[in-house]
Amino acid sequence: MDILFASIVSGVLIGMVLALVALGLTIIFGVMDIVNFAHGEFLMVGMYTGLLTAQATGMDPLFALPVAAAVGFALGILCYAGFIKFLLRGPMIAQLLGTFGLMLVLRNLALLFFGSEDRALHHGLLVGKSFDVGMGVILSATKLATAVLSILSFGAVWLLINRTRIGKALTATALNRQGARYMGIPTERMNMLAWGIGGATVTIAGALIVNFWSVTPYVGLIFTMIAFTVVALGGFGSVPGAFFAGLVVGLIMEIPGFWDFLQLTFRIGWMADVPMISFKYTWIYVAYFVIMLISPRGLFGWKQ
Amino acid sequence: MEAVRNALDFSDFPKSDLAVALVVLILLFCFPLFSFSAFAMATMIQFFIFSLYGMGWNTIGGYGGQVDLGKAQYVGIGAYTTMVCLLRWDIPFWISMPIGACLAISWSFIIGYPLFKLKGHYFAIATIATSLVLKDLFEVWKFVGAARGLGILPYKYHPPDFWRLIFKEDIYYYYIIFAFFIVGLLYMNWFRKSRLGYQLRSIKDNEEVARSLGINVHWAKIKTYAIATAFVSIVGSFHAVYIKNIEPEDTMSLDISILIALMAMLGGAGSLWGPVIGAGVLIPLKSYLKEWLGATAGLLGIDLILYGLIIMIISAFEPRGLWGIIEKKRRRRRS
Repeated sequence: MDILFASIVSGVLIGMVLALVALGLTIIFGVMDIVNFAHGEFLMVGMYTGLLTAQATGMDPLFALPVAAAVGFALGILCYAGFIKFLLRGPMIAQLLGTFGLMLVLRNLALLFFGSEDRALHHGLLVGKSFDVGMGVILSATKLATAVLSILSFGAVWLLINRTRIGKALTATALNRQGARYMGIPTERMNMLAWGIGGATVTIAGALIVNFWSVTPYVGLIFTMIAFTVVALGGFGSVPGAFFAGLVVGLIMEIPGFWDFLQLTFRIGWMADVPMISFKYTWIYVAYFVIMLISPRGLFGWKQ
Repeated sequence: MEAVRNALDFSDFPKSDLAVALVVLILLFCFPLFSFSAFAMATMIQFFIFSLYGMGWNTIGGYGGQVDLGKAQYVGIGAYTTMVCLLRWDIPFWISMPIGACLAISWSFIIGYPLFKLKGHYFAIATIATSLVLKDLFEVWKFVGAARGLGILPYKYHPPDFWRLIFKEDIYYYYIIFAFFIVGLLYMNWFRKSRLGYQLRSIKDNEEVARSLGINVHWAKIKTYAIATAFVSIVGSFHAVYIKNIEPEDTMSLDISILIALMAMLGGAGSLWGPVIGAGVLIPLKSYLKEWLGATAGLLGIDLILYGLIIMIISAFEPRGLWGIIEKKRRRRRS
């Protein structure tokens, strides 16, 4: 029973931050119909920013969030103005491969500057601390703080999109680009803003994740796939969808835990032989495939 | 006979193109006679391998316009079938290669049927997902060596072994893959003029119109996907005996899938020469950049940075690839 509760709690907590990871992707897709393969690499940039800021200044990594957000915002804008703008004119395959090129560049720049070794945070206010909530659930302080801060960031972006003039302009651009331009909305600048917000949210998520996840230049791909799955489940372009889908995908990532629970509770011998932990991420790909087949629009999708 | 005549018929290309192609072919044929370094030889073999992969991708991705980023799984199926057959049951290459192709094609039908219900980005990401699932399976499957992969020990056999394709010198591999290359080129020449080829191009232009003309769109895509798969898996088998050591990471990773798509894309997707041009530019560039900048200068990853920049520039400014640039120039001269 303990394993079950621990897995559920852990899945929900990680799900919050996955929702934040996917938020940028869904905003970008919603506004301009482009899938960003470099999304996981943006997250990696955020992780390195958080880590290096914390190490350089000696502050707690949680205080590196504004730095990470600023870096992400700048990176998003830079990528849009310098590259994506030109990409949008081309066919879809050029867009896919183009963002893949961006991913290669970012990943290998990180490799060039930071080397290939694993880096992790060893100190900080919360790193390594945990409390026992009972029923076998041990909450690590970093994961809890990450989840709470993720919800806060998510809420802030949601408010920005739904309650401000800029957000309305962004939504209008997503719904109907031509119409928005006739209404006097600078759609080009809205695209740029979408990339800025997308970059900032994902780097914040990165700076949060680095509290409990070691970083290498290769960490991006798995998060790109996770983000794709979250966005597919929630519906491409849907912000609330990303939140709920994040939770679901967080739970999917805990499938090895549930597997252990079943195996231990019902004492099923053969289940112990399956190295389920090696398939931790496989279920995410499977989930993407299944979601796409059952409902290509996802839970809350409005784009076809 | 009709098919053979069609495959050999290049008359719809301008004479100058054919002359260039012929010169290049003769140069390629004579290449091993000049004594270049072993490195150059290995690079040329990689060039053939990847131009064949690119040709396979070009059927579905170039002519059909379906962006498939999961071709590496079929490289893996082909390579692993050959390897397992050789190591476990001593089945030679020329028998295990068709077996591998059959397995790959069966798998392509199984996943192709649901896959082609998707379109655009959704399809592209789904192909990546299937490919990664298969890679994860191979990484824990003990029978195929799990994450460490499988390796041939060449001294166990008696090279040159034409039956199992195990040689000491690269020159044998060179001419065998060269023969594959010619066959592949002729097949593609036939394919682009075949019924399926025309159907695919109409699907690429407008699926609704194609359907209204009575083309079974879904089936046409699945068939073409199987053709692309056969190409990739056969060359994958060759890759296994040539490299002699395969792991899931270097046969089935996403990077291989993308590289395959890139060959065709850089050269010009949907044209006969596209994948060949693309591989001819990219593969030497990649291996020499890696040699000079990566190994010699000790700058980790700088080759891939330049590589990524090339991809970015091509996709942003000339999405029709190098062949597109040539055609544009030609059109300008004509008008």
